[in-house]
Amino acid sequence: MKFTDIIGLALKNFLRRKVRSFLTILGVTIGTAAVVVMLSLGIGMSEGFEKQMEMMGSLTTIEVNRYYYEESPRGGRTEPATIDDKVIEAISQIKGVKVVTPVMWRSAKLVSGKYMAWAQLYGIRPEALEALGYVPAEGRLLNPGEHDMLLFGVGATQNFYNPKTSRWGNPGGRPPVNVMTDRLELTLDDSYGESWADPNKKPAKLYRVRTAGILEPVNDQMDWCVVVDIGYLQKIVREYDISQGTFSRDTTSYEQALVKVEDVHQVDYVLQEIKAMKLGTFSLQDILKGMKEQLFMIQAVLGGIGAMSLLVAALGITNTMVMSIYERTREIGVMKVLGCLLTDIRKLFLWEAGIIGFSGGVIGLLLSLLASYLLNRFGGDLGGLIGGGIYAPDGTRLPISVIPVWLAAAAVGFATFVGLVSGFYPANRAMKLSALEAIRNE
Amino acid sequence: MPNNIIEIRNLRKVYHVGSEKVVALNHITLDIEAGEFCCLVGTSGSGKSTLLNMLAGLEKPSLGTVRIKGQAIEKMSEKQLARFRQENIGFIFQSYNLIPTLTALENTAMPLIFRGMPRKQREALAREALQRVGLANHMAHRPTQMSGGQQQRVGIARALVSRPPIVFADEPTGNLDSKTTREVMELMTSTTRDLGQTLVLVTHDLSIASYADRIIHISDGNIVKIVNNRKRLAK
Ligand SMILES: Nc1ncnc2c1ncn2[C@@H]1O[C@H](COP(=O)(O)OP(=O)(O)OP(=O)(O)O)[C@@H](O)[C@H]1O
Ligand SMILES: [Mg+2]
Repeated sequence: MKFTDIIGLALKNFLRRKVRSFLTILGVTIGTAAVVVMLSLGIGMSEGFEKQMEMMGSLTTIEVNRYYYEESPRGGRTEPATIDDKVIEAISQIKGVKVVTPVMWRSAKLVSGKYMAWAQLYGIRPEALEALGYVPAEGRLLNPGEHDMLLFGVGATQNFYNPKTSRWGNPGGRPPVNVMTDRLELTLDDSYGESWADPNKKPAKLYRVRTAGILEPVNDQMDWCVVVDIGYLQKIVREYDISQGTFSRDTTSYEQALVKVEDVHQVDYVLQEIKAMKLGTFSLQDILKGMKEQLFMIQAVLGGIGAMSLLVAALGITNTMVMSIYERTREIGVMKVLGCLLTDIRKLFLWEAGIIGFSGGVIGLLLSLLASYLLNRFGGDLGGLIGGGIYAPDGTRLPISVIPVWLAAAAVGFATFVGLVSGFYPANRAMKLSALEAIRNE
Repeated sequence: MPNNIIEIRNLRKVYHVGSEKVVALNHITLDIEAGEFCCLVGTSGSGKSTLLNMLAGLEKPSLGTVRIKGQAIEKMSEKQLARFRQENIGFIFQSYNLIPTLTALENTAMPLIFRGMPRKQREALAREALQRVGLANHMAHRPTQMSGGQQQRVGIARALVSRPPIVFADEPTGNLDSKTTREVMELMTSTTRDLGQTLVLVTHDLSIASYADRIIHISDGNIVKIVNNRKRLAK
């Protein structure tokens, strides 16, 4: 028989029992829709995570820490490690590393007339700023070796307050100090000017500083920092420690180093190389990996729930086919007597089951697309519950449920496949029916 | 020199029902000539249907052989048999056995579909066959929309459409009244004669048997009498 005739006859038989076919299809429809919607939620979450990661910072940045986690059969141990200029130099030699900079923090006070602000100083090599993705919103970035110069995170410009009145500037209004133009002084004594300051403390030096620029917001703690050249920060820290009599030569290690890798695909390699130097590392890719593994689990569970209903649907198809073969015993016998090949009879029933699967798949997909649309449109609260409801940087909400083309195609293909598999047993049974028995029972 | 299209030699069929043996066919030896109209008659349970089914390869003999056009059909595989039936055998049933979802035209074209013939070609042939049986106006009717006589005409058209050299019919008029029986018998006789087909027909009605060239009487699985009535071959 020609394939088109097989499909044509199978379709006729399928349309013959409308109610039963409809109910069987309904099973497949629900099964397919369950799988697709469940997976679409998983995909939505996954994409949401990735977008969130992008917001949190670049995937090509690696943090290097001065401790090392030693794995051992009896459980790991954290060992101290040192990040000095030699280590920085060695890291910069690793293939794929675009730029590496040591990092140092220090809390400090900024003074401008009667206003003061607490500030988190962030010491870094200015030449790394651009590579790390910092862009000035006002003014410019720092130049290497520039002392007495500050680069404000956008949040840090809002911190000024008057300690006498304990009032926070003008909430919501213009900040009381314009860091670009107003006179600024810096001290490492963060109790400076406060009523609670220790009166016996030796006075710390006030440095006259100027502002190079204000950074574009990056949506992380950097927005609340004040960036300075790390050499300058080291110098004033030393002076402060000497003035307080707490100076020790032991502070050879930086607190952290930041490594920027040329390309996302090289991050794993660079991470391994740095770990081999017995240094601790942290990268968003580590988190992403963990999240993805977790997501995979969630998706497997969600998909499994859907698959369960598809399995029930498959049993429904088998049942329907067995029933209709039972009813059509005579017809099958007649076809055999008239010279229909046994394999054609099998194909006929196989494709009838395939058509049930296919139609169920298509309708199920349409249903899922509708469900997906409704979820994304009205399912905001639900999104929050299941981990979606994430907002893109431009403020639009990311979809909770995403059905990519491959999922749509796979859903229909899989439903058809399920139909064919369910039809296999009944089709074989039809093929093995005795033609004689069939035409004899008059 | 007679041209035997069917050669039956020492055919025996024994059914085992529980511990009992039922001899449906004892030793049957018979030749059927090409173009002959041959009738198998006998009482109920004498083994007529069993013989016919064995000739069509629907059942394997316990002993003996059936040769059609020189080929021993009991030795063929299922697949070979299906192809063999497609090319050589038409079948007419007592209960018509049309497929209820298909129209008269589609039912008639069934054997051609199994051969993989393209739609246009097979529908042209089916139309012609239906015209031959006088159903030119019923092509689009479904079996439930036709009388028994009309359904059997479709059955005849289906057996003729692929022009098989042999047509088997098992009590084709068993469900019809006497007037329709006559019409159908005349139709079968004339069409198979026109197409030069060999017709083997089973009945227990002797008035029907009178249409045949040769009447073979069967009783308890044996041929007990053969009556020659060679109208057709004499012409
Ligand atoms: N599958 C079978 N199993 C057991 N016995 C069978 C089987 N088929 C036929 N028989 C027996 O073989 C004998 C011949 O049966 P068959 O059907 O050939 O008779 P028939 O001549 O066609 O009768 P009828 O005119 O009633 O159709 C009967 O005794 C019947 O019971
Ligand atoms: Mg019989």
